[in-house]
Amino acid sequence: MKRDISIIGAIPLAVFLALWELLPRAGAIDPVFLPPLSTVVETVVGLWHGGDLQTHALVSLRRALVGFLAAVALGLPLGLVVGGWFPRLQTALEPLMELFAQANPVVLFHIIILFLGIGEGAKTFIIGWLCLWPVTFSAINGVRGADPLILKAARSLGVGRLRLFVSVVIPLAAPSIFAGLRLSAGYAFIMLIAAEMMGASSGLGWLVIQAQESYHVARIFAGAAVITVMALAVDGILKLIGLWLAPARDTEESRPLGELAANVKER
Amino acid sequence: MARTPDAITDRILRWSGVAVFLLLWETAPRAGWVDPYFAPPFSAVLGAFGRLAAEGTLASHLLISAWRGLSGLAVAVAVGVPAGFLLGRHSPRAGEALEPLLRLLSQVNPFTLLPLFLLFFGIGETAKIAVIGWVSLWPILFYTVTGARTVDPLLVKTARSLGVNGGGLCRTVLLPGALPTLFTGVRIGAGLVFFMLVAAEMLGANAGVGWLVHNSAMNFQIPRLYAGAVAIVFLGYALNRGLLTLEQALFAWREAPSEAVTGRAARHVLRPGKGGAALAAALLILLFVAGGWEVRRVNLAAVSGGHSHHGKHSLPTPERIEEEKQLEQDLNGWEPFTDGGKGK
Repeated sequence: MKRDISIIGAIPLAVFLALWELLPRAGAIDPVFLPPLSTVVETVVGLWHGGDLQTHALVSLRRALVGFLAAVALGLPLGLVVGGWFPRLQTALEPLMELFAQANPVVLFHIIILFLGIGEGAKTFIIGWLCLWPVTFSAINGVRGADPLILKAARSLGVGRLRLFVSVVIPLAAPSIFAGLRLSAGYAFIMLIAAEMMGASSGLGWLVIQAQESYHVARIFAGAAVITVMALAVDGILKLIGLWLAPARDTEESRPLGELAANVKER
Repeated sequence: MARTPDAITDRILRWSGVAVFLLLWETAPRAGWVDPYFAPPFSAVLGAFGRLAAEGTLASHLLISAWRGLSGLAVAVAVGVPAGFLLGRHSPRAGEALEPLLRLLSQVNPFTLLPLFLLFFGIGETAKIAVIGWVSLWPILFYTVTGARTVDPLLVKTARSLGVNGGGLCRTVLLPGALPTLFTGVRIGAGLVFFMLVAAEMLGANAGVGWLVHNSAMNFQIPRLYAGAVAIVFLGYALNRGLLTLEQALFAWREAPSEAVTGRAARHVLRPGKGGAALAAALLILLFVAGGWEVRRVNLAAVSGGHSHHGKHSLPTPERIEEEKQLEQDLNGWEPFTDGGKGK
């Protein structure tokens, strides 16, 4: 049954790719604006052989990774501690954190540049900032949403505070935390490209904007395709890690650009 | 909500974090802990905000941004909701089959699409509205599909057995049944619209709140930059909160289980009558028309001389144009944001 669906799903995908190849070739769409798929693939291969692709992809990945890891290193403890131990502090911080999370990162980027310059620092900071809030909120929600019955049961069995936290609360919060991590990674990618477009001299976003400025349309498509594939790959890897480490419950979290909410089972 | 003393202290506690932050913002530059040139005290930002508001430029920028956002969202709703019902209800097999393709498309980074849309549609309003619509299309589409799929089959069968079919079934059973989920999609879509709107205005526009911030950064009008940023943050927060509150008020009967656990009192259920709905629709249309008019005015003004938006009363004089050209040339040498690193 599962196989069935994946085969059916491959058909529209194949049709889409075939149309992408055929329509510009047949002249139905101006190939200057929409180069056929094969040209785009050739461009990707060409960029790979020239070494540009690896260089820029690695630069982008490093930026995203550093920002993401910094956010996790800061947000996870913050969320767990604030959510687990200081409910009043959480109440006091909640509106402020919500405002910070709502703060448009593109706008913030301009302000951060004032302080950090346009170097790596500003880009890493904005990615980290953006990732910080989903991680923190999901940790808080995960801890707060832990089933009180289980907590009481554990306590009545004489489990100490620290032990309770490590071996009961964190596993209970893990699915929510992983949903937050995936959300963060998605944001990281979107903002990474934006930051690289606004002020950088390397990275995939720069590659795309550079192609735009020199009207190298096939390169824009190539860059867009590579970025999409990378985002999908990162999301898939995080999903697998999440399933592996925290398989307990299925979580329905909205993804930055819309997780297919349709996965909800039919009643 | 009853205003018991407890609720009031809770409220004070809630906003104490924000108050402390604003206080720090005011005192830190004054005390010299941070450079007041880069981080002007909050009162200076408020002053810049007041000046912008008094000039009338702020209202104009807000109107233009609101128009763009509304247009994008309207396109997304017009495409996403019918498509969602089609894929979720009418032909679920097609919905399943299209899932991988749609998932792939939804993951395409909107910032890489922006150059492509500029290529297809030019630098005008269409490219911006297209990218805004694209970004908000996916949550609206996916949530509509879910909403359409999860309408209680019992209700549908009952309606069918009562002889309700086709359009009537859609209007009286399917749409109300899917509405709560659909609304969540629209709320998420609206948040993304706001995010992308500001970004698109920064990468190529001559008005709007995103342009305001970008332009201030280019000209090192730091208090104005902060004023624009504060306006955007506040608007984003208000939009999100407002839609969330509206969602909870409209669909309080679909209470989330987590809130049942926290034991909050059931909310007051909002039941908009025809009048309320008509009022909301009229306001939206008014905003739309006024915004469209303002966009047209600003774009025409941009075409006929002044390269940017100077408010209503300053016609670009020859000296002024010359001055600006000179300024632009001076800036072009090192301008960090728009040259994409060509200088390096």
